[in-house]
Amino acid sequence: MRMIARRLGLYALTAWVAITVNFILPRLMPGNPIQTLIGKLQGQVTPNEINAIKLSFGDVKGGFISDYVTYIGQLFHGNLGVSITLGAPVSSILRETVPWTVGLIGISTIISFCVGTFAGAMLGWMRGSRLDTLIPTATFFQAIPYFFLGTVMLLIFGSHLGWFPVLGAYSSNVTPGWNWAFVASVVRYGELPVISIVLSSIAGWMLGMRNMMITMIGEDFVLMAVAKGLPRRKVIVHAARNAVLPSIANLSLAIGLVVSGALLVELVFNYPGVGDLLLQAVLNEDYPLIQGIFLVITLTVLCANLIADVVYLALDPRTRTEAAV
Amino acid sequence: MRTLRLPRSPKVLLGLGILTFFIIMTVIGPWLAPYNPSATDFLPNTGPSAHHWLGTTSLGQDIFSQLLVGARATMVVALLAGLVATALSMTIGVAAGYLGGYTDDGLSLLSNVFLAIPGLPLLIVIDSYLPVNSRSNAFVIGLVISLTGWAWGARVLRAQTMSLRNRDFVEAARIIGEKRWRIMLSEIAPNLLPVLASSLLFTVLYAIGAYVTLAYIGLTSTSVWNWGTILYWAQSNNAPLSNEWYWFVPPGICIALVGTGLALVNFGIDEFINPRLRAAGLTSKQRRSLGLPRRVRLGFTPVLRSARPGVVAPTNAQAASQ
Amino acid sequence: MTDPLHVRDEREARDSAATNTVDRPTSSEFVLEVRDFSVDYGVGSSMVRAVSDVSLNLRRSSVLGVAGESGSGKSTLVYAMTRLLRAPGVISAGNVMLNVTDDHGNALAPVDLVRANEKELRAVRWSHVSIVLQSALSALNPVLRIGKEFDEVLKTHRPEMNKTQRRERAETLLTMVGLDATRLDRYPHELSGGQRQRIMIALALALDPELVIMDEPTTALDVVTQREIINQLYELRTRFGFAMIFITHDLSLLVELADEIVVMYAGQIVERASALELYEAPRHPYTLGLLNSFPPLHGARRELTGIPGSPPDLADLPAGCNFASRCPYVMERCHQEEPRLTALEEGGRSVSCWLQVSGASASVPVELARTPRVKRAHPTSEEAVS
Repeated sequence: MRMIARRLGLYALTAWVAITVNFILPRLMPGNPIQTLIGKLQGQVTPNEINAIKLSFGDVKGGFISDYVTYIGQLFHGNLGVSITLGAPVSSILRETVPWTVGLIGISTIISFCVGTFAGAMLGWMRGSRLDTLIPTATFFQAIPYFFLGTVMLLIFGSHLGWFPVLGAYSSNVTPGWNWAFVASVVRYGELPVISIVLSSIAGWMLGMRNMMITMIGEDFVLMAVAKGLPRRKVIVHAARNAVLPSIANLSLAIGLVVSGALLVELVFNYPGVGDLLLQAVLNEDYPLIQGIFLVITLTVLCANLIADVVYLALDPRTRTEAAV
Repeated sequence: MRTLRLPRSPKVLLGLGILTFFIIMTVIGPWLAPYNPSATDFLPNTGPSAHHWLGTTSLGQDIFSQLLVGARATMVVALLAGLVATALSMTIGVAAGYLGGYTDDGLSLLSNVFLAIPGLPLLIVIDSYLPVNSRSNAFVIGLVISLTGWAWGARVLRAQTMSLRNRDFVEAARIIGEKRWRIMLSEIAPNLLPVLASSLLFTVLYAIGAYVTLAYIGLTSTSVWNWGTILYWAQSNNAPLSNEWYWFVPPGICIALVGTGLALVNFGIDEFINPRLRAAGLTSKQRRSLGLPRRVRLGFTPVLRSARPGVVAPTNAQAASQ
Repeated sequence: MTDPLHVRDEREARDSAATNTVDRPTSSEFVLEVRDFSVDYGVGSSMVRAVSDVSLNLRRSSVLGVAGESGSGKSTLVYAMTRLLRAPGVISAGNVMLNVTDDHGNALAPVDLVRANEKELRAVRWSHVSIVLQSALSALNPVLRIGKEFDEVLKTHRPEMNKTQRRERAETLLTMVGLDATRLDRYPHELSGGQRQRIMIALALALDPELVIMDEPTTALDVVTQREIINQLYELRTRFGFAMIFITHDLSLLVELADEIVVMYAGQIVERASALELYEAPRHPYTLGLLNSFPPLHGARRELTGIPGSPPDLADLPAGCNFASRCPYVMERCHQEEPRLTALEEGGRSVSCWLQVSGASASVPVELARTPRVKRAHPTSEEAVS
């Protein structure tokens, strides 16, 4: 449990750093776009919300520290300010978009991790076989930017061959809600984006697992598994069970990278998640929205990290004992 | 002292070949470009032809020239960001690993925080606040990218330094009374070389991805040609959907190839660091003639054909004629 | 504790009784027969011969000690024999016959481990030949409970047992090596080095194998634990009658435990003799050097001198005797001709040294020409502890 407590502390600190970056950045930048922005919003928002915008841009003359305290206070009440272009509170905009992103990236990451790890274990075990020729190919896929692969997939399998529906998260013929037609449509529309993200991210898991697997095969306990006359499948499990641990430990780094890449896949597919929203916000210089998205992404990634930590704890008995000491 | 000697595997040679090609392109690309990449002198939206190898944009610009000119900006920013980030990771990682104690705690915490924050969104936030003229400045962009990309390297280098710290030769230097910074520079740094090289490759890879992505979503100056800007213009003119593959595919392939080259070279470094990853250097022909399997299975030591009576070992002439 | 010498007689009686029984097929008196066995690392131009032309026999229920410095090829020999040697190891010549028996001691068809395919090897492994490694910590899967290791072995080789029976068997085995059965629910890192090594031994005996290979099982342990484990092994061997190959660089340890000892140098056997003869009257200068490198566990103290120099580079062996450059008794002939392992006139032992060749110059040094006190009792374990 001590390990979890320590990780929680780290994530709390990270969240605080992200919030502080959000607070300080606008104050460091030259120029004052705030008045024009507020002018744009006149009549659309309450004075309270205008205050929140001013606060996040450093326009309130309350002094640095008291501004900072008020800013954090507002965040705790879920007040992320008001989107300049959409004229709605950032928090309510995010409530609609975040689930799409979490669903898309979450499912893709789980598929990619599981399939990639399995393939990597096999590649590591079969080292020296013809399967090794897959490695440069996998490396190539790993090096392609997510958004580019997404574009190519969209073009070939969506537009050209028409195998998958493209653009959006569901067909315009269905009504959103918990009905079968809607869910089926969401799955159908999600296929190509998921495949794109999986293809882009799978090589990382695969190659990492392969290397760990080869390292593990060099360990005595794997040789012992063979000496015990265990069937090949069980020997592989002995090695893989240990080889997967570093992959899970590295999940925290990887989640950040995958999310970064996958956000752009949303953009390519016009998926209604935060990635698409982020681009719109950047193009329109909608700072409150950019900041809100950044915060939400960071917090979500931190939650994912925490889940990865718990899984790691469950899989490695050694960390459990250390925590008990 | 270990010097970095890359194994001469086909993977590594292929990687080095690809990288050499693109480095040459970086240096002489802009001179080779047949036209001014921004000039809108030509018939728009033409496919590849003898005059325009990769066709023209919807503004009538030569795409091949953009690709050649764009190589330099892309590679320079990536290399700059990679070098700065590696320098940062080295300073922070080695200091944390070598000094230990509170310094280590503080620096480790710092790198863990930076690892946990998703890089690209942070990059977008910082970049969106940059004044427009800074966005076209390769140095500013490079520095911002390096700021978000140093943490992983620092973590790896810290671990390596800690294991080196307790080795005999460092211990000896300490007992002789060498100064700390001298030990760090002369004893530890050279032994970190393979890890450092691997970390550099990864940061350059990250930097290319980050830079191209920023350009693709329009957060760098759209008038500075790099591979990301080409993609930006292609995307905003709907090139992918209007079948203009020659506009958006080449830059993507270039990015992927540079990345592949970096990763392939890194395989060599990995094999250098972790000898278990090294493959036995036997050609398939040699293996066949000796009666050895293609792949040695763990726990089933192969037996030479000559050691198995009843199976006649082929003579050299026979083996060669196969 | 039982007197090992007494037990030894008992065992011999039992063995001879077994051979005298006519109504069942008699198994070979040897459990393992190794012929002209050679092992290389790599092939082609980069090849290094790590074990060259080794032949040895292992009697049922007896203990063979394999001694030598690190790099002498002793571990390579034993791992290659069982086909467990890792790449780039390659078996380049010879055969290894394992004369297996079923649970009732009836002889089954012998298995040539060198020619066996994967399936045949898997069937022989652990149920007939098991192995204990130097570091039990690395030999146990760090993420599995101890009980799982037992369960897995039994499940694979004794499919007729159910879960409860397997658990009971594991508990019996653990009790047998003096551990509490609750240890089965622990992870390897929660146990001490001695406990882990006992677990490895219990695991090795799980299927009642005819042959247990011990690769320096006590090297990583402190002296007291080492002593306890050796006593335990002696006891278990007496009780279950498995044969043992015990690899170590510590000759004095072998003298206590082994019936016969082979000494390896540069991939070859340089001396083979019964444990007592070898201890009291070494015939090879290298054996003498090894004996002088370790304090004897009992009896008269010797001066510890060790062996000057280091083992030769296997990739670049000198002409003549491999030991010549380190040998204090080196002669002209040693640099020119390679000695072969030859049976000595006194019988029952062989050595590979020009000094001991009959008709050679009479100048055999006195320390290599001692007469063993044949009547000396084998040291008991109690005596050794004190």
